[in-house]
Amino acid sequence: MNQLRKWTPYFNIWTLLSVIIVLLVIAPNISIFISFFVESSENWAHVKEHILPELLKNTTLLIIFTSIGTILIGTSLAWLISAYQFPGKNFFKWALILPLAIPPYIAAYTYNGILNYTGVIQTTLRNRFDITVDQVYFDIMTLPGATFIFIFFLFPYVYTVTRAYLANQSAALVENARLFGRSNLAIFFQIILPISRAAIVGGTSLVILEVLNDYGVVQYFGVPTFSTAIFQTWFGMGDLAAAIKLAATLMIIIFMILFLESFLRRRKNFSYTTTKIRPLKPLRLTKWRAWTAFSYCMIVFSLGFLIPFIQLVDWMLLTYDKIADPVFLSLIKNSLFVAVIGSLMIVVFSIVVANFARIHRSIISNAFARVTILGYSIPGAVIAVGILTVFLEIDALLGEIYNFIGIDSVLFLSTSLFMLISAYVIRFLAVSYNSIEAGFEKIGTKYNEASRMLGMNITKSFWKVDFPMMKVPILSGFILAFVDILKELPLTLILRPFNFDTLSTKAFQYATDEQIHEAALASILIIVITAIAILIFHLVLESDERRS
Amino acid sequence: MFVEIKDLAFHYPNQKDFTLAKFFLTMEKGEIVSVLGASGSGKSTLLRIICGLEVPYSGVIKINNEVMSDESRFVLPEKRGIGMVFQDYALFPHMNVYDNIIFGLKKLPRKERKERADEVLELINMVDFKKRYPYELSGGQQQRIALARALAPQPSLLLLDEPFSNLDADLQIKIREELREIIKKAGITSIFVTHDREDANAIADRILRMEHGFAYPCTVKI
Repeated sequence: MNQLRKWTPYFNIWTLLSVIIVLLVIAPNISIFISFFVESSENWAHVKEHILPELLKNTTLLIIFTSIGTILIGTSLAWLISAYQFPGKNFFKWALILPLAIPPYIAAYTYNGILNYTGVIQTTLRNRFDITVDQVYFDIMTLPGATFIFIFFLFPYVYTVTRAYLANQSAALVENARLFGRSNLAIFFQIILPISRAAIVGGTSLVILEVLNDYGVVQYFGVPTFSTAIFQTWFGMGDLAAAIKLAATLMIIIFMILFLESFLRRRKNFSYTTTKIRPLKPLRLTKWRAWTAFSYCMIVFSLGFLIPFIQLVDWMLLTYDKIADPVFLSLIKNSLFVAVIGSLMIVVFSIVVANFARIHRSIISNAFARVTILGYSIPGAVIAVGILTVFLEIDALLGEIYNFIGIDSVLFLSTSLFMLISAYVIRFLAVSYNSIEAGFEKIGTKYNEASRMLGMNITKSFWKVDFPMMKVPILSGFILAFVDILKELPLTLILRPFNFDTLSTKAFQYATDEQIHEAALASILIIVITAIAILIFHLVLESDERRS
Repeated sequence: MFVEIKDLAFHYPNQKDFTLAKFFLTMEKGEIVSVLGASGSGKSTLLRIICGLEVPYSGVIKINNEVMSDESRFVLPEKRGIGMVFQDYALFPHMNVYDNIIFGLKKLPRKERKERADEVLELINMVDFKKRYPYELSGGQQQRIALARALAPQPSLLLLDEPFSNLDADLQIKIREELREIIKKAGITSIFVTHDREDANAIADRILRMEHGFAYPCTVKI
């Protein structure tokens, strides 16, 4: 009897929609988990014995060395930028985020194009200096090469989180250590690294998830990992069941990593409890110290952005006439179309679940929030497998209805753009959810409650009171989802309808067809749009932080 | 009786202890009752339960002979017709004073809406501030606007949650007399929560003391 009354506040459209959204997100993941226990195919035995060990080895090596590299580069840069003043510092503070604008797969074929036999380095050596080099030293298409790409294009995840943390949190500790006469290097290793552990772990786990998600780099470089193996068993052997088994194995690895992350972060969030945050005052570096800092930042920035970007511009100028045609225009249209529709859906879904979660603070709403952000941890190839199995099921169920209303295909949904867009939604929901949740957190519930006390229901209160105050977080949620969809590769490759190409799939296809120069225009478009979006996002974020 | 609350109990989902237990209260129409207690005594929670923002564990709430909450029934906050002045006022920052006040009058025709808004602005003596935005007002002015906004839809019951806690001490004395006057003039039944004995004395017809979720009636003013 107590129950009915307890649930009355839940009877509204937000609850209903939230339940639907959460089911949508969770269905593909569950379908993979279930299939893990289903009897395996013949191929699986083969895959398990001959392929799996290598996948595990490669994945482990990539994760370990990329993590070490991104932590070293990311935290050292964060420390330099927040604790010191040197020439170019204000430029590098923002410029060092830019490598994120270059998707690793674009970086991979660009670097290969720079370093290979016909690339700019070797031709210059041959033609100007008459030096022919041993190809072994210039072969980037190896596991260490892939690690190099991941490190230099993913380190900003660690850099941004750690810098934000250090800028706000470390002032008192660092100043004390300086008073005690500790050397700068000692401060870095004995104070900075330990106190920013939670931030570093958070940033690094994002890096690891990106590495596991990657398909482009490892496929192009020929380093077998789970993503490539899922593609291969599925399309090469035509064995979806074995692909699902691989996906499920990868998912178990992901959950282990997430568990490790929360374990490493537990109770280690050293934030001050007071609201009076004093920013760290930077020390001015002089003479050779200043130039060393400058050179270090410049080298990282060049490797992670400048060099590949200039090379791409050069190639674009070579091939521009040939590429820019109506077909290319349709690529842009396709890319914008899926990105706009996908991110609109993502933003709406995020608002619904986030609003539901904040109004009913309960175990259920917490669980919903958790599920909503689950997709970001799951690699594209895994989501692709999961969503395809779900859509095939739905198509099988609806087959009769298709017949009845005269649709000519038994695979109506699973060959439609709808499937691809659903996959984007699941994978990138977390990106905008986090932004929107933070926005709700900031305005709190009091305005909503005041509005309800004045006779407006939850929905009206949202439109009249919350929405006008939420424009910035909603917009940044949209931008983040938009750029993520724009540069997405594995999901798009697997789930796109026949003959449907986007900028990213076309660029990757050119590159794998040894037409690297032709890939430049599409790549540059992706990079420029992403770079603008990222910079706007971080500027808004910082001005927001300063205001509050 | 205009307000009847019987055996109300409540605990937050993640807490074992009851924030509020065995709470009884009856009120005449037009009466002002103060609930006096230290922070954490459960007095704000009491208001949130009465207005429907929290679901009680057990008990009955009746206002004007209508059941708001009992074993089987729970009326949503927006349907209760209760007005609330929040501790930090919660004036909508993106609306000016006039829009804040007519927010609860959306069901009235435009003309009546305007008349009612002018009426309550008159009541609080702030007719000239219509076009101002909340951030352009002093704390005392914000508080009066919040009161006017809550009074505008003519609620059956008015709840005030520590309305003086954000004001300077000088202002507080002046305003609490004003507040009692306004409420009495409007003839509205009110429950007023405070931690300040002086406030309670100055405003209330009757005082209820709260400690650790239990209420004790005070027969005389303290």
